[in-house]
Amino acid sequence: MLNLLRTEWLKIRKYWAFWGVMILTALSYPGINYLFYDQYLNITKKGSDAAEIAKMLLGNPFLFPETFHTIGYFSSIFVFIPAIVIIMLITNEYAYKTNRQNIIDGWSRNQFLAGKLLDVVIVSVLVTFLYVVVALIIGYVATPTPMKGAWSKSYYIGLFALQTFAQLSFAFLVGFLLRRAFVALSVFVFYFLILENLFVNLLKEKAHDEGRFLPLEIADRLIPVPAFLGRFNEASYQAKLDAVGPHVGYTFVVILLIWGSCYWINQKRDL
Amino acid sequence: MKVLTVEGISKRYGTVQALDGVSLRVEEGSVYGVLGPNGSGKTTLLSIILDVLSADAGQYRWFEAPGSPEVRKKIGALLETPNFYHYLPGTDNLRITHTISGRGSLEEIDRVLDTVSLTERKYSRFSTYSLGMKQRLAIAGTLLGSPPVLVMDEPTNGLDPVGIAEIRSLIGELRKKGHTIIVASHLLDEVEKICTHVAILKKGKVLVEGPVEEVLSDEDQVELKAANMDALAGLLAHFPGVVRVSRQDNLLLAHFAKGNANLEALNRSCFEQGISLAHLVLKKKKLEERFFELTGNTSHA
Repeated sequence: MLNLLRTEWLKIRKYWAFWGVMILTALSYPGINYLFYDQYLNITKKGSDAAEIAKMLLGNPFLFPETFHTIGYFSSIFVFIPAIVIIMLITNEYAYKTNRQNIIDGWSRNQFLAGKLLDVVIVSVLVTFLYVVVALIIGYVATPTPMKGAWSKSYYIGLFALQTFAQLSFAFLVGFLLRRAFVALSVFVFYFLILENLFVNLLKEKAHDEGRFLPLEIADRLIPVPAFLGRFNEASYQAKLDAVGPHVGYTFVVILLIWGSCYWINQKRDL
Repeated sequence: MKVLTVEGISKRYGTVQALDGVSLRVEEGSVYGVLGPNGSGKTTLLSIILDVLSADAGQYRWFEAPGSPEVRKKIGALLETPNFYHYLPGTDNLRITHTISGRGSLEEIDRVLDTVSLTERKYSRFSTYSLGMKQRLAIAGTLLGSPPVLVMDEPTNGLDPVGIAEIRSLIGELRKKGHTIIVASHLLDEVEKICTHVAILKKGKVLVEGPVEEVLSDEDQVELKAANMDALAGLLAHFPGVVRVSRQDNLLLAHFAKGNANLEALNRSCFEQGISLAHLVLKKKKLEERFFELTGNTSHA
C-alpha cells in the first residue's frame, strides 16, 4: 500500500498539468459558491419589498446547517474538472506505455489498478476537503451568531465524498476503456453535460424516471437541489430527500460494478 | 540452472499467427540472441515472458518457477521502446523503476545514469531527450540493482556507432559478471559478436536454436585456390566427403558435412595430383549468411 502511494506520488508530484487542473478546481469551487452567495446577498439586501419576499421564499441557504447541503449541491456541478485529472492520469499511462513498464518492473496487474484506485480516492478526498472548507467559510460568514445544530447536516460531507468518488470512478472507467486522452475527455464531457441529462429528462417525461439509474445520475441524487429550490414543489422535494437513502446503496453498487469491470478487463486484456 | 524455459507458446492476433509453438531454453550466464525478420514474433515472445501479453497456448518458467511479479523484479527489461513518463526527469523516472521493482537504491540511480553517459541530462525531462538518450535511459533502468537477468529488445535502437560499441562492451562486461542476457535484435553482426546462444524465428516459428557455433556451423566450408582451377575443381568433385563444390569470386568452395573437412588430407591429395594450393582455409560461416539461408530472405549486401 505504502509502495503504491509512494509510486503514485512520484508520478504526480512533478506533473504540472495535474497541479494546474487541481488549482483550477481549488479556484472554481469557492468561486462558484461565492458567486451564488453574492447573488443571494444582492437579491436580499436591497431592503425593498421584493427583497423581503425573496428572503421569505429562499430563507438563507448558506446558513448552518443548510450550507453543507447548498455548497455540496453547487460544488458537485463542477466534478468534471477533477474528472479531467483522473482521465489524464490513466490515459497518460497508455500514451507513454508506462502501464506496460510498471508490470515489467514488477507490479502485478492488480497493483497497477490499485494504484489508479488510490489516485481516484486521493482526488476525491482533496475535492471533498475543498468542499468542506468552502462550506465552513461561507457558513461562518453567513451565520450571524453561533447556532445549535450547526453540524446537523454535516452528513452531506459523506454524501458529497461518495458522489465525487462514484463520478470520478466513472471518469476513470471512460479513460481506462478508451485509452486516448482526447477521445476519453470528449466522450466524458459530452456524456456528463449533454447525453445523460438528455436521457434523464426524456425518461422522466416519457417513462418512469428510469434515468435515475444512469451511472452519474445515481450519484447525482445523493445531493438533491437545495431546500430553497424545493419550496416550489414540497412533495417532489420530499420524494427526492427520501430517495437519498436508496441511492446510497445504488451508488455503492455502481462503484462496485465500475471497479469490478476494470479489474476483470485488466486481467484479460493485453497491455 | 535454466533461467528461462519456454514451451509451446502460441499467440494469434486475428488472422495472424504471431507465435506458433515456440520453445526454447536459456541457461544461466548465457547471452541469448533472439533473431528474426520484422514480424517474426520476437517482441511478442518477449512481451509474453514479461506478462505484458497473454499466450493463447503454452507456458514459460523463470528460474524454474511460473512467471510472477516477484520474479519480474529480478529482471531488468527494455521492451520495444523506452517507456517513461514524458513530463518527468530521467532521475525521477528511474526512481519509479526503483520503487516498483525494489531494485537498486537512490544512490545507484546516479551510478547507472553515469554508466550510460546521461549524468549531465539527468534532471532534464524525458520528453526533451533525443532517441538515443531515451534508449540509454531505458538501458539504465534495466541495469538498476544489477539484476541477474536482463531482457533487451533492440537495445541499440537509435544509438550512434559509439553508443552501439558501448552497449556491446557493456553486455560483454555483464556476461563476465555472470548476468544472463536475452537480447532481440536485427543487427546480426552485433548478435554474432555478443551472443553465446541464438534462436532464429520466422513467422512465429523457431527455425533453429542453440549455441551460436552450432547454429552457424551446419556444414564445413573450405576455400581453395590454385593456378589450375579446373584441375582443382575436378579433384574436389571426387574427393571423399565433399557434398558439392561452388565458385566464389576467384575461389573454389568445397562443402563438407559438419566436422568432416580434413584440410591436411585435402592438401596432401592436391600435392599428390600436382596441384599447388595458393589458398586453403576452413571458412567460418557468418551469422548473417546463416540467417538469410534459414529465413529465406535475400541479403542486402
